[in-house]
Amino acid sequence: MQIDWPDLIRSLFSEETAFTLAVAILIIGGVLAYLVWRWTHATLERTGIKNAIEGTTFERSAQRFGTSTVGIIGTLLAAFVYAGTIIIAFHIARLLNVELFWSRIAGYLPRFFIAVLAVVIGLIVGEKAALVIQERLQSVKLPEASVIPKLVKYSIFYIAALIALAQIGVATTALLILLAAYAFGVVFLGGLAFKDLLTSSAAGIYLLLTEPYTIGDEIEIDDRRGIVQEVDVFVTRIESEGEEFIIPNQQVFRSGVVRIRN
Amino acid sequence: MTGLAALLDEVVGEIDAILLFTRDASTYNLFSEEETPTIVIAKTNAVGADEFVELPLEFTNVHGRIRFGLEGTLRQGLLAEGDEVVCLTSSFEENQIDTVVRVRGDQFTQTGVYDLFANSRADADVVRDVFEVAIELGKKGQKGKRVGALFVVGDAGKVMNKSRPLSYNPFEKSHVHVGDPIVNVMLKEFSRLDGAFVISDGGKIVSAYRYLEPAAEGVDIPKGLGARHMAAGAITRDTNAIAIALSESDGMVRAFKGGELILELDPEEY
Repeated sequence: MQIDWPDLIRSLFSEETAFTLAVAILIIGGVLAYLVWRWTHATLERTGIKNAIEGTTFERSAQRFGTSTVGIIGTLLAAFVYAGTIIIAFHIARLLNVELFWSRIAGYLPRFFIAVLAVVIGLIVGEKAALVIQERLQSVKLPEASVIPKLVKYSIFYIAALIALAQIGVATTALLILLAAYAFGVVFLGGLAFKDLLTSSAAGIYLLLTEPYTIGDEIEIDDRRGIVQEVDVFVTRIESEGEEFIIPNQQVFRSGVVRIRN
Repeated sequence: MTGLAALLDEVVGEIDAILLFTRDASTYNLFSEEETPTIVIAKTNAVGADEFVELPLEFTNVHGRIRFGLEGTLRQGLLAEGDEVVCLTSSFEENQIDTVVRVRGDQFTQTGVYDLFANSRADADVVRDVFEVAIELGKKGQKGKRVGALFVVGDAGKVMNKSRPLSYNPFEKSHVHVGDPIVNVMLKEFSRLDGAFVISDGGKIVSAYRYLEPAAEGVDIPKGLGARHMAAGAITRDTNAIAIALSESDGMVRAFKGGELILELDPEEY
């Protein structure tokens, strides 16, 4: 059962006390908000998040407005706390007829907060992920490979936006279906496209772990005979006089290996 | 100052190309308008130059660096034998061009240093990683004591067939590649074992403890080098591998290919 705080206070004390209490709550809220702000700064800095987000577009645009990502998150949290205390204070002081308003705002505030946080984190994580993937792909000298980091970035942005919109109560069913279709496309078509590579790598993992043959052994696979030069996850390279066979591991598995002993 | 200016004009006059040893984009931009072709030689093509030669090691020695760069440009066909070039590089401060050298394309007899990295069976990255391991090992030794080591890189199948194990292979069923962070420590520990390390084209450490049994006829290496170097020279003659030897007696890193000594480095300089 919910206790009616304003009435309780008024029955225990007087109307003035209630008002004083409201003011006190406002002040405490201010202090609390400030502490939260300080705490966010300290934690984010200590956990190294501040360094991690250095140089992202979001951080840079935040800096253009004279603040930083950490500042924004800190302010956001502080504002959230302060807004909460204001509502409580108004409620106790009965300044507004807030019964309806209060319940709606109280329900809405955390959602709004999470939505903003989702957007901020989404922007930063998306960009960071793109950067990491780009670094990884640096050795791939293929201009088309630069599409992949972008794709990942916008996928993360999309999901962040979806979370934010769902939080503030916008109908997201259509967007969700789009996401599902996209994920399905990536998984299904990707699986289809990489089918051979996947089976080869599954076989390759077995070959690498158990090593039925190793570099330097003479083997025969499907009438192709030679000395093993290299075994990796996808292929086995065997070399005979003047010829080098590159055999998918899947085929090694399917047709078996003859080890030649002498 | 007219004498100095005249001398400098003479040094940089009538050249066919500029070899720029830098990774600094602003330095490169100074030359982007230049009519003479500018060839960038560095570890990475950070400036995005069209004509670029990759430097696999940080040659601290200017002579070695220019030699490698020149050979690389010649092998890539960016220069012809008789071309006159000016090399801009740094002798003391890193990333600060302070040295101007004028050389002819055929100044040095080609030793194949560039081929050692670019046209070996093994990947250039693998060769570079092995060099780095050897240099590191040469610098620090094992527990302060000097060690010797022999790495045979590439054509591992053939090398394995031309060698026999001295003892159990510690790398059996392991999948360690040179360049993995753990490798330096591991090789340092294993380097007290006698015998050679065999490394495949892709950089996998196939075996340690190998006794190489190549035919040693026709191996031409400088007299005075020990059995390790003779074995290194011989195995590269018999197979398509290259061999990188760290000498225990004088601490030098030497690379062999095709039975010949190609490159000699002092680890202390790196």
